[in-house]
Amino acid sequence: MLASTRRAERRSAFILIAPFLLIYLVLFIYPTLKMLELSFTNAPLIGEGDWVYFKNYVRLFGDRLFKTAVWNTGYFVVLTVVPNVAIGLLIALMVDRLKGWTQSIVLAAFFLPYILPVSVVFLMWRWILDLQFGIAQYPIELFYGERVPVFRTIPWFLPMVGLITIWWTNGFNVLLFIAGLRNISPEIYDAAAIDGANRWQLFWKITWPLIWPVTALVATIQLILQLKIFDQVYLFSIGGRSEPTMVLVQYIYREAFQRNHGGYAATIATALFVLIAALSVLQYQVLRARGAER
Amino acid sequence: MSVETGRIKLPTIGAEGRHRRLRAFDMAGLVLTLATFVFAIIWAFPLYWAMVTTLKPEYEVVQPGVRLWPETFTLEAYAYVLLNTKIGLWYLNSLVTSAAVTMIVIFTAATCGYAISQLRFPGRRLLYLTIMASFMVPIQALIVTHFVLMSNFGTLNTWLGIILPQLIVPVVVIVYKQFFDSIPRDFREAAIMDGANDFQLLFKIYLPMNWGVTTALAIITFIGAWNAFLWPFLAQSSEETMNITVGVTQVHSAFGVQYARELAGAVLAGLPVALAYLIFQRRVTQAITLSAGIKG
Amino acid sequence: MRTILKKALLTAALIAFAAGAQAKETIVWWDFLSGGDGVRMKSLIDQFNKEHADSIEIQATTLEWGVPFYTKVQTSAAVGEGPDVMTYHLSRLPLGVATGTLREITPEELKAAGLSADNYAPANWKAAQVDGKQYAIPFDIHSVVLYYNKDKLAAAGLLGQDGLPKGLDGVDNFHAALEKLKAGGSEYGVSIHSAAGDSQWRIFYSLFSQQGGKFLSDNGKFLEGDNLDKAVKATSVVAKWVADGLAPKSTDYPASIALFTSGKAAMHINGVWEVPTFTDLAKQNKLGFEWGAIQLPTFFDQPATWADSHSFAIPNRKGKEISPEKLKAVLETVKWMNEHSLFWATAGHIPAFSPVTSSDDFKKMQPNATYSTLAKTAVFDPSSKLAGVASPVYDAAGNFLMPAINGELDPQAAMEQMRDDLDGQTE
Repeated sequence: MLASTRRAERRSAFILIAPFLLIYLVLFIYPTLKMLELSFTNAPLIGEGDWVYFKNYVRLFGDRLFKTAVWNTGYFVVLTVVPNVAIGLLIALMVDRLKGWTQSIVLAAFFLPYILPVSVVFLMWRWILDLQFGIAQYPIELFYGERVPVFRTIPWFLPMVGLITIWWTNGFNVLLFIAGLRNISPEIYDAAAIDGANRWQLFWKITWPLIWPVTALVATIQLILQLKIFDQVYLFSIGGRSEPTMVLVQYIYREAFQRNHGGYAATIATALFVLIAALSVLQYQVLRARGAER
Repeated sequence: MSVETGRIKLPTIGAEGRHRRLRAFDMAGLVLTLATFVFAIIWAFPLYWAMVTTLKPEYEVVQPGVRLWPETFTLEAYAYVLLNTKIGLWYLNSLVTSAAVTMIVIFTAATCGYAISQLRFPGRRLLYLTIMASFMVPIQALIVTHFVLMSNFGTLNTWLGIILPQLIVPVVVIVYKQFFDSIPRDFREAAIMDGANDFQLLFKIYLPMNWGVTTALAIITFIGAWNAFLWPFLAQSSEETMNITVGVTQVHSAFGVQYARELAGAVLAGLPVALAYLIFQRRVTQAITLSAGIKG
Repeated sequence: MRTILKKALLTAALIAFAAGAQAKETIVWWDFLSGGDGVRMKSLIDQFNKEHADSIEIQATTLEWGVPFYTKVQTSAAVGEGPDVMTYHLSRLPLGVATGTLREITPEELKAAGLSADNYAPANWKAAQVDGKQYAIPFDIHSVVLYYNKDKLAAAGLLGQDGLPKGLDGVDNFHAALEKLKAGGSEYGVSIHSAAGDSQWRIFYSLFSQQGGKFLSDNGKFLEGDNLDKAVKATSVVAKWVADGLAPKSTDYPASIALFTSGKAAMHINGVWEVPTFTDLAKQNKLGFEWGAIQLPTFFDQPATWADSHSFAIPNRKGKEISPEKLKAVLETVKWMNEHSLFWATAGHIPAFSPVTSSDDFKKMQPNATYSTLAKTAVFDPSSKLAGVASPVYDAAGNFLMPAINGELDPQAAMEQMRDDLDGQTE
């Protein structure tokens, strides 16, 4: 190729990547570096602070609330990720059996919640679980014996927010699983059916191993998503005790915006950053290893 | 079956093939189908219940018992919300900011994805790896520095301030890159020989080749921006500048707790995206599988 | 000559018209008042806007009470955004000043606006100051009271000749009264919002102060010395009501009110701001019993009731300071609100503006007149940047006091943890 065309190619490339690069540098790389810098200072949210070296990090390790937030975030991940994946696969299997317009309608019923803003989900469920007038208090009364102010009762809070989160986000998983199921060739099932395998065996022998890559993908996406949980937990905790159910992003928010501790908030943010990066790498390795076993 | 993204193909609804063999009467199958319907109804019930509550007068809303259809049908709650809150402004704010985010993200991602896929330039691999790695980074962790930055720019409480931090959507670049990867490089070289330049190629040939991908990505980006909560919640403090998702949870009318009105606000906030989904159902499905990197 | 005069008149009219048009100031107003408070404030604002149709217009936004409100205010001010005037709890004033959220109102500005300390109770006026500088104008004093169901108290023999409750003073007497009420068929003797830290703080601080306790010592230590024991005692009293089933466990704000209005609880401890709720229900004949409200009984050595003040403050918007014209309009608004606070008193509050409280209309107002004695022994939150609404102290109440009330934590351990938590935050 001519040197001049190569130069022209580079010039076009530069112009084409420039808008993205500019946004990326100003709104992503710079804030990330700034966050790191801030985490070594005692700055308020807006304004200058003094360099305090590792003081914030030392404090972080002894911080009771930070431990609570890490624990709750982990608890929330456990409450949501595995059930969300399992229920998503279950619904996908159910929906995939249907055909034509019945399938479209049933799929819409499962998927529609996912498309809604979190504020809508929040207002809806707060109403449904309202202590005095909520319709869900009838089944709660029936099984538990009394009405429960679910968002003001600490042991109920995260499991219930988890349940709502599963209801809200499950449609996403269902779609991915359906796409995955459609990639399994029907001939494999036909062959197995001739061998006399029943529904149960078909699932464990064929569907499960073949859908495993999608399962792993959905689990990874969910894990990273739920580690960043804030919206629902924050909204449902308004007016109640927030500390016992505090999650990590909420703690960042509280320190920065409620307590005006920009520096310490940046330290917590950095910790979250490291946590997610480490878990992603770890999970990627584990899933790849398991995938390779087959 | 593969998780790596390769070619872009629309997933199609309907998976007949392998069910053909179950043509014969199948009791277990029937039970399963019925169970599916019941489960779907339970799943959608909260949506229905919220809707039907908004159509009742407040006194009926707080009556004990379960009434699946309003005894007295009324649109009072909607009338109240439309007339007494700034919901019109909130809609406008949501619309403008979400549309702007969508357009900028699609434009910058398409150009960047094209360059990474089709052009050779120094730093190409590094750029791509950085974008891939930024997947792992929680944007939520940046709220503090984003807030400081927007404050320095003087853009808090403005449309621009809502838009800017939402422009980081690396996944769109990656989907575009993979889309352009499916086009052979010879194609470009031939076109360049004929005197076309990269901009003409991108906007006149490559993108029109499959508008479906761009539409799908645009819809999902728009829905994402419309539904965003954390950042708009932090950046909008005055009632006039709020997005609808923030407005319905932050502003309280001075008339005590009125369930029907609150839910009417919620229904109005969710309506545009729900409609977008129902109209573009296939595109939304496609966008989601695309962004997750599953070959449909 | 006549044309000149005509021209002059015309010009004067034009100038006056232009001046009138220019002088219309828009005031952005934030408050956190909902429920009965909100309705009353809204009608005050409407009246104000009507009376000032060509000079000032208030544009009001009501945000969520407590932490969400103060978070918004604090971050908005820091970046030069936010309202021209806002409601503010005086208990939070030191914290607000420490975070640089509030703008000083200078003596000259106060004087120019005709706002004078003489019209306010000295302690109330002083609570709006930090280091001798004025940061707010008080609007009311509000407190908690004991609401009671006259029918139930009469049946239990707890009503005196004067129609007021009797025999409730002292921890043991009160406990016995609760048991009597429960035995008489009430589900609960007294309903409290045991699931809300701020509500529990109000009761706790009253009981704690009735023992002469000092929550924050002058040296900056929390619950120092025997103050810890007093705090444990105060906590144990309420915890025992809950443990013995005399008060509801883990109950939310609206639910605790519903328990009282539905007749399931014979008494109810809540803020004076719920007076309109019961007044309105009684007016519509939906209450089904006669109600009253009195000052909290004296459980320990001396009467004392927690109190706080709503006030008006101006945010210190960095880089976008309020203009002198707007400031003038804001102070005029604040003055007007104070002068019209008799109507605000129908929301249960005791106005801060003494010409109103000394008026006959106010002295006749019920039930305010019955419980307004509490003002004499009112105790305000410690003056500290760790105290007040939506402060670390309120958080600590939610995290340690509330679990202790509901039997999830031992009172002794809870108070020790609360002390250590708060001491850890003093730098």
